[in-house]
Amino acid sequence: MTKPSTELISAPVWDIFVRCFHWSLVVLFAAAVITGEIGGNAIAWHMRCGYAILTLVTFRLIWGFVGGEYARFASFLTSPGKTIAFAKNMMGKGHDYVVGHNPPGGWMVLALLLTLATQATLGLFTNDEIATTGPLAQYVSEATSVRLTGIHHIIGKVLLALVGLHVAAVLFHLFVKKENLIRAMFSGNKSLPADLAREAQGARKASTTLGFAVFVLVIALVAVIVNWSVWFK
Amino acid sequence: MKMFTKIALATAAAALATSAMAQPKPEAFVKERKAAFTLLAWYFGPLAAVAKGEKPFNKDEAVRATSMLVPLSKMPWEGFAPGTDKVGNTEAKAEVWSNNAKFKELGGKLETEMAKLAAFANAGDADGFKKQFGAVGGTCKSCHDDFKNK
Repeated sequence: MTKPSTELISAPVWDIFVRCFHWSLVVLFAAAVITGEIGGNAIAWHMRCGYAILTLVTFRLIWGFVGGEYARFASFLTSPGKTIAFAKNMMGKGHDYVVGHNPPGGWMVLALLLTLATQATLGLFTNDEIATTGPLAQYVSEATSVRLTGIHHIIGKVLLALVGLHVAAVLFHLFVKKENLIRAMFSGNKSLPADLAREAQGARKASTTLGFAVFVLVIALVAVIVNWSVWFK
Repeated sequence: MKMFTKIALATAAAALATSAMAQPKPEAFVKERKAAFTLLAWYFGPLAAVAKGEKPFNKDEAVRATSMLVPLSKMPWEGFAPGTDKVGNTEAKAEVWSNNAKFKELGGKLETEMAKLAAFANAGDADGFKKQFGAVGGTCKSCHDDFKNK
């Protein structure tokens, strides 16, 4: 472990929406995996988890353009060159501090969001060939629905791998680099070298009003999609 | 009866018996099991609305459905005869035959759980029926997970 040359200062990085999004997603993802594995009557809960995840992820994708500075994709998606350089340095003895998501972490965030969005959307069209169909399955042929269900199962495994990698990286920071990113995702504050802390303090803040407005809008959108066959038949 | 008639009848009977016992074509086995699963889904699927509470439990309907589902739950297994693993567009995995003991065990479980569902229907036990519906669905899933290509 390399000791930071300067003392670390706590600075606000993750806005309240990013944090609430993250931890609700953790709970819902775990619940979706477990209820999906159990099957039977638990499938009703698997579907509810899916709708909630679709809501959260859609919100987060929009928040990536209008949220606080470090919630924005523009702030954490960098060139492949920088990403590889950062990873190489981290795997060695180096320890670069980053205010928001670090380069590989940022790409992982995007990968997780897009894969989750795909998975939740696919779920709407599934047919498990037992007694459950997604709320939009009736708008595609049965063969298509069954094929999409197969893809839904495969992406489920891909997601578990991505989540595993994401958690492994966070644990690597915690145990090898002694940087607690988990606590930061709860409190919103990261311990940073003075110059980065100053940068974080001066960065663009999230608008709470805008956050709630977007969230309510997304809830309404998902509600319309999920209930389409009931409300607009 | 004359000896000739006796022999003729015996020959005819033997010929008939042989043709009746002739092994069906592999395609017919696949058809048999698919038909059984199709009918299982037909009578089982609509009960999901009851289990989810979207439709009230109706004893007569539940009894009618389960009276068909119980025999249906015993029907698919005959269709999984040896040598029918790569016939037509079957979704059965090779494991059905390579791990046949487990497959048979899960098939037996479907029969048991379905019989319990029928018992709840006959008793008019709505809550028990709803819960048991999930148990049957779970049995379908546990077998599909290992033995059905998706």
